[in-house]
Amino acid sequence: MTHRTTRAGLALGLAAGITSLGGAALAQDCTTKIGAVLPTSVDWGKPIAATAQYAVDLVNEAGGVAGCQIEMVLRDSQVDPKVGVDAAKALVDLDGVKVLLGAVSSGVSMPILTSVTAPADVVQMSCCSSSTAFTALSQEGKTKGLFFRTFATSGVQAAVGAMVARDKGYKSVAILYKNDDWGQDIGKLVAADLASLGIEVTGSVAINDGQASFRAEVTEALKGNPDALYMALYPKEGTAVVREWISLGGTQKMIVANALKSDEFRDNVGLQYLGDTVGTDTASPRSESASAFVAQYTAKFDGPPNGPGLSNSYDATMIALLAMEAAGKDATGPEIAAMIGKVTDPEGTPVTADAAGFAMAKEILASGGSVQYQGATGNVRFDANGDVSAPAVTWGFTAEGNAELQYITLEEVDAFMASVK
Amino acid sequence: MIGIISYLVFFATVAGILSIAVLGLNLQWGNTGLFNGGVVAFFGAGAYGTLILGGTAQADHLGGFELPYLLALLGGMVIAGLMAWLVGVLTLRLRHDYLAIATFGVAVAFENLMRNAEGLAGGAKGLRGFERPLRAWLGDGFSYNLLFLAFVLVLLIATYLFLETLIRSPFGRLLRAIREDETAAQSLGKSPSRVRLISFITGSVIMGLAGGLYATFYAFISPQDVLPILTFQIWAMLIVGGAGNNRGAIAGAFLIWGAWTASGWALSRFAPLDVQLYTGSIQFILIGFVIVGMLLWRPQGLFPERLVVSQSRRTKDVSQSGRRKT
Repeated sequence: MTHRTTRAGLALGLAAGITSLGGAALAQDCTTKIGAVLPTSVDWGKPIAATAQYAVDLVNEAGGVAGCQIEMVLRDSQVDPKVGVDAAKALVDLDGVKVLLGAVSSGVSMPILTSVTAPADVVQMSCCSSSTAFTALSQEGKTKGLFFRTFATSGVQAAVGAMVARDKGYKSVAILYKNDDWGQDIGKLVAADLASLGIEVTGSVAINDGQASFRAEVTEALKGNPDALYMALYPKEGTAVVREWISLGGTQKMIVANALKSDEFRDNVGLQYLGDTVGTDTASPRSESASAFVAQYTAKFDGPPNGPGLSNSYDATMIALLAMEAAGKDATGPEIAAMIGKVTDPEGTPVTADAAGFAMAKEILASGGSVQYQGATGNVRFDANGDVSAPAVTWGFTAEGNAELQYITLEEVDAFMASVK
Repeated sequence: MIGIISYLVFFATVAGILSIAVLGLNLQWGNTGLFNGGVVAFFGAGAYGTLILGGTAQADHLGGFELPYLLALLGGMVIAGLMAWLVGVLTLRLRHDYLAIATFGVAVAFENLMRNAEGLAGGAKGLRGFERPLRAWLGDGFSYNLLFLAFVLVLLIATYLFLETLIRSPFGRLLRAIREDETAAQSLGKSPSRVRLISFITGSVIMGLAGGLYATFYAFISPQDVLPILTFQIWAMLIVGGAGNNRGAIAGAFLIWGAWTASGWALSRFAPLDVQLYTGSIQFILIGFVIVGMLLWRPQGLFPERLVVSQSRRTKDVSQSGRRKT
């Protein structure tokens, strides 16, 4: 079924491409550049960049944006703010990009926003920065409405993590969080959510990455003898931590945030220890376009999109390109930003997240309509601060990778979050 | 065209700021022989100090003193100096590699403190809420960047002139005397430990100035800005430029930072599409090659120290025998 949809979709895309061939002769003549500043020198950063490039390729296949082919100029941030800011500045000044995708770490995205994109009126669309500082900055009016992110604020995942603990009947939970902006945020939020559900938090321990051993931290977390363990960690240190946790006799009842949704983590820890592990993530969507995304991605990259931030990166790129299409040729940053609402309009015509969907969106936008982008992370909708809320899923590890356990709709997420506040 | 100028202004500002930090290190290492492996701690102290003193009030961390900008910058330098004094009193009896390890530890401790002390410095999410000076008047476009570049260059030149005067003065000769042979200097009635401390603090204050300017430019600082990689970058700049030569220090900063950014730009532009994803890693290899090649073929740097005759033949074996004595 899925395959047939994909093929039909591709055929439709191809047809749309051919019908617009009259204009497509034009399309080959011009190129519009967009910028991307992503940590490609880091293992988990490469797939995020590859996914963004993949979205660009699909759009080009559908005839490009506003009659022009899109070229994504990719720069490495090296997770170093200086380097990332310089790369962003070069993209804006030398390549004249009006849309910048990136960065991943909030510590890099933030100085790019304050010193490059906001002053130069360039739209910045981050796949993965989760810090609450962006919301605060936007409320102060300093982002000029140019900053968007497809990564739901950590609140959603923290809430779903607490919900899992409640549904599983855990009475006490220890928390291990990565000691960066994302981890500190989510660690604090999940602790508050658990407390308001009446679940005891026996300890909350920060994990600094790059350590040879995490014995001290793990021992600290074991102290309260918790029913379950909550982890907001990345695969590398997550693997080391879980190995020590299990070998020191910790429970196998674990709740993990989406950053551990990785085959590398599953393989290195061993599936036999992860049977009781429940993961959380913002939504894997219920639309056909989403399964089409997974199928297309699997075909393209020889594996399903299992790494952190991949669907977010895909949606960030697609939404940015849709907004560019809506704004027309040679649009300025603020004009493009203004169109984001028009392509993620809940009242608009639903379009799928593939080449055919993009081609369809082009027609609707050309005739003055608005569209609802149904993305790889669900029906993305930004609030006034450029933040997204999202439906959520819980998932578990399987022999093949991971599988969804339960789908929690946006309404349920919102209601639950309101109830624990 | 305007884009190129705008980018070059931006580039020169960052390179100028880094040059100031390299000058600070040159006083410590090039002129006094102090192996400071924790440059980033003093750079960070200036940066955090400036933003905390000059920023607007924030709900979740210290700050909101809203001092006039120059006072805040000066405050950042004073904080860097105080930290250098504390660190210096504790560690300056150590020599060479031991001092390097101790100061490296200080830098790691500093980064961890900033990452965890949320009430003090905003924790991992960093420190915001700083209004760049004169922004209301100039906006934050090109003209602002141009003015800020001028400000940085004035401070860079002032630092350069100050250091040139310093090392040409009798005090400068004393620094070199201590670097070359501490016992001999002591036998002449000088107090090496005091002089080393003064040099260490002065160099650190200069690094603090660079940090303050850096934080001002981005209006933001987070623990990610004060990782050990910055210490490494600043050292690479000094080694390539030429330790002991202030002009070399500045040239090294511009060259290394230029190579760092230009290699990324060139790879993104000219590398074939299928290796685009690996440009980040390729860039690291290229930069490593430049530094290793420099150390192999021109260890004295592009602009070697200009020594007076009495020292010129001895520098090499002195630095070796100095190590043996520790």
